[in-house]
Amino acid sequence: MPFNRKPQKFSASIKEVEIGCGEKAIKIGGASVFPFYTFDGDEGNAPKVGVEISDMGLEHASEGVKAYYAGASTMAEIAKKAAEMPGGDFVVLRLEGGDPNGANKSIEELVAVAKEVADAIDAPLVVEGCKNVEKDSELLPKIAEALQGKNVLLMSAKEEDYKAIGAAAGLAYNQKVGAESADDINLAKQLNVVLTQLGVAPESIVMNVGTAAVGYGFDYVISTMDRVRAAALSQDDKMLQMPIIAPVASETWSVKESTASEEDAPGWGSVEERGVSMEVQTAAACLVSGSDAVILKHPQSVATISKMIKELM
Amino acid sequence: MAKFVVIGERISVTAPSINRAFAEKDPEPILTRAKQQLDAGATYLDVNIGPAENNGEDIMKWAVTLLQENFDNVPLALDTANKKAIEAGISVYNRSKGKPIVNSADASGRIEYIDLAAANDAIVIALCNGEGIAKDNDERMAYLTTLLERGLEHGMEDQDIWFDPLFVVVKGMQEKQMQVLEFIKMISDMGLNSTGGLSNNSNGAPKTLRPIMDASLVAMCMMQGLTSAIVNPNDLRLMETIKTCDVFKGNTLYADSYLEI
Amino acid sequence: MALTGIQIFKMTPKKNCKECGCPTCMAFSMKVAQGAMDISACPHMSEDALAQLSEATAPPMKTIKVGTGDNEYSLGGETVLYRHEKTFVSKTRYAASVCTCMDDAAIDARLASVSAVDYERIGERMYTELVYVNYAKDTDSAKYVELVKKAAATGRTLVLGCKCPETAKAALDVCKDAKPVLNGADASNYEEMSKIATEAGVVLGVSGANLDELYDTTAALEKLGNKNLVLDVTMGSVKETFEAAVSVRRAAVKDTDRTFGYPSIVNLAALVQGDKPMQQALAALFTMKYGSIVVVEEMDYAMALPLYGLRQNLFTDPQKPMKVAPGIYPLNGADENSICLTTVDFALTYFLVSGELERSGIPCNLVISDAGGLSVLTAWAAGKLSSTSISTYIKEEVEGKVKSRKLIIPGKVAVLKGDLEAKLPGWEIIVAPLEAVQLVKFLKDMQANGQL
Repeated sequence: MPFNRKPQKFSASIKEVEIGCGEKAIKIGGASVFPFYTFDGDEGNAPKVGVEISDMGLEHASEGVKAYYAGASTMAEIAKKAAEMPGGDFVVLRLEGGDPNGANKSIEELVAVAKEVADAIDAPLVVEGCKNVEKDSELLPKIAEALQGKNVLLMSAKEEDYKAIGAAAGLAYNQKVGAESADDINLAKQLNVVLTQLGVAPESIVMNVGTAAVGYGFDYVISTMDRVRAAALSQDDKMLQMPIIAPVASETWSVKESTASEEDAPGWGSVEERGVSMEVQTAAACLVSGSDAVILKHPQSVATISKMIKELM
Repeated sequence: MAKFVVIGERISVTAPSINRAFAEKDPEPILTRAKQQLDAGATYLDVNIGPAENNGEDIMKWAVTLLQENFDNVPLALDTANKKAIEAGISVYNRSKGKPIVNSADASGRIEYIDLAAANDAIVIALCNGEGIAKDNDERMAYLTTLLERGLEHGMEDQDIWFDPLFVVVKGMQEKQMQVLEFIKMISDMGLNSTGGLSNNSNGAPKTLRPIMDASLVAMCMMQGLTSAIVNPNDLRLMETIKTCDVFKGNTLYADSYLEI
Repeated sequence: MALTGIQIFKMTPKKNCKECGCPTCMAFSMKVAQGAMDISACPHMSEDALAQLSEATAPPMKTIKVGTGDNEYSLGGETVLYRHEKTFVSKTRYAASVCTCMDDAAIDARLASVSAVDYERIGERMYTELVYVNYAKDTDSAKYVELVKKAAATGRTLVLGCKCPETAKAALDVCKDAKPVLNGADASNYEEMSKIATEAGVVLGVSGANLDELYDTTAALEKLGNKNLVLDVTMGSVKETFEAAVSVRRAAVKDTDRTFGYPSIVNLAALVQGDKPMQQALAALFTMKYGSIVVVEEMDYAMALPLYGLRQNLFTDPQKPMKVAPGIYPLNGADENSICLTTVDFALTYFLVSGELERSGIPCNLVISDAGGLSVLTAWAAGKLSSTSISTYIKEEVEGKVKSRKLIIPGKVAVLKGDLEAKLPGWEIIVAPLEAVQLVKFLKDMQANGQL
């Protein structure tokens, strides 16, 4: 008697969201089965890999990342290299320099950086704010305006600032909106509801439901993503059918495993290898939990994860 | 757990305007009521064309096509004593949003509706009664067993037989209410689906009382495991209660705006 | 296969006697199929029917034990597919691998590396639990036995990857008492391998060229009476292996297909040999999706640190927060003169705060007292982080060991400042910012102002 396969087929599916323009534009989402369950049915678009760069340049980057960008000095040059990274599908610009507790760069300065990057590449672009709610609610609408026609994804609209960012990005300037909630599935749903009530099309919303480095409360990440995907598919919950993007690099490159120097952690081996492994493993775990896109930094991680996706699709 | 399935009951010949619309094939009143019910959160729409002895096949085909074309292949419950009309309706039915529901079989005169549903890969509403209303839950269970066996013998999935405990009116049968609720629990414990004309409980009560009676009963029924009901989705109090119970049961995920979606 | 209500109904006497408490035999049958009632509630079932049913109502996935003593591990026994439904019970175990195809120097280096990774993380020992010993085709059988002996000397529980019956028998002769796994049965040799494994009293690993062959071979082994099995779901490609790992677990747990109700082995050393980054990615993937034993070529710290962290998160009880042990944690080379900071013992908070403190590079002592594993505000609201709890801990555990008399408390419990000053005479109580990310700047400002 052969094995009796019982595929989990759903009549619901994750919405498709397009980012970027022209030939390089990408679509994320579209699955009507659990992540990589291609044997059950239509997996939709293959998950995509983003390459993260920062307005703060390469100062804090690991040696391998610095080596990859060697020779690039302006943001435009860095962006071009990021867009060419083998395995990468899109570029992510983090405007961390806007943080009032950090470099506190002005809005004008950051908009100029975003323009410089956007004009230098034809790859799809995601722009992340500085995570300070007040600054972002002013900054991201300005970015949305400045990059009109580029179909960029702006991250992120949160509970406190979704109105300003949603209205500018999703309505006025026809960009895509990232809705951010931190491991709170009810808030994830609520943000999608209020953004659509604001008039943002469901096909213009991408969720960041929160992520962490593995080992650092990643249990919450797994359960949040598992439950979002289950509600979207098995309960046909239209307000959770937006694709998920997971900013992995910003979490993994700051934990001890990736930063402790070889002198401070004798026996642990190469700090570079540890950092890559942390990034790769976190990305793999996010993808299999239901992320439709991951944001990475290191060329080795980007190559590995994109290869893994190809093998699984 | 799946969300509670609301079957909208308002497209029915018992409403004079709808009766006339079927007779004259006038789309407008039917489409209006369909839209109202879907906007309010109905999943299925019941299409009750009455006995329709003469031109039932024709009317049902027309109604199914009309509704599915206008509302993105909305899933329907086909409700008539004319079996041929149900088959005709299924012949033009689009299943992309859900199987058709045959409304309804019982354990005596209408047991063949089970066969009809089985032959057409449809869901069937199976009334747990025979001749007249069952006197107690033992009798209801016997009817249920008969209906279940019939369906399974004909190759149906047990999940496609939705058992109707038969809701009874409070005014006149108040003492039977708990029995019905207990029976719903028995159906649920067997892992089976259930539905029924829940608003029957408040028949004859003043209009102002019906929403609170229906809402309270649906909450009690959902606690017992009722999985669907044939009701008026434009009763706001009732629908808000159903949505709220779905949240408590974990059938939908809570969000602050859950009543608005 | 699980029985449906109607299949059970056909075995009942159909008398509707109600002795089981159900109104009809049909109702009873449906409840048994649901798992809501036990078949034994019916006094009228035939022996035959009972035997058939007890098989069908057994737990969906067997718990299989490998190894002995401190190195004994339970595999399988899972009842759910997702951690939010119920806690997973048997965590993934990892194996490093050696092979007869490697040269002696490589083998010695690999075996030496097995003990290199061994550390503690939030109360859990993290180490390479297993060694996979592979017998490559057309190599010397005696060399394999020698390799097994060497591997056994590591003290780790072994998984013998060997499809040759004679060689397997010889290898088991030298290691069977430590209860290794014999991963060697397939469609061509299962009868002989089953006999060898049974005689040696060890778990047998089964593999197949595809899911159907794996299924058939497992069913055939069960027919021979061998139910002490693990299933090697490694197939020809990553994609097929993923399908197999998911299908086997899902068939067992969700569809109660007991033929697949066994733990699994995913052999990445074979699947993506030589590709270290890919092994890292897939080790994480197959920890998430249902590998009971995951085999890698080498377990070094780069592989282990994220992987064991992931496993710890995945297998933690969702109802029980992860806690770190109370104590004084000196950071950045802190000594008795360094400033103290305190927060709760909730692992996530601890990691967040200690991470930021490490980033600041400023020597400081992080003081953790028992706060029930709750976050700062929750612990405060529950009375587990109070001026009394903090001051008591400081007096009893800190004052004798640390000379500094400066204590930074979490910004979220700034209200405790006054009470703490009253209860800890001689201490300067300083309120930290609200969020951990602001700590670096806060401490650096303090340093710049000469406050440290």
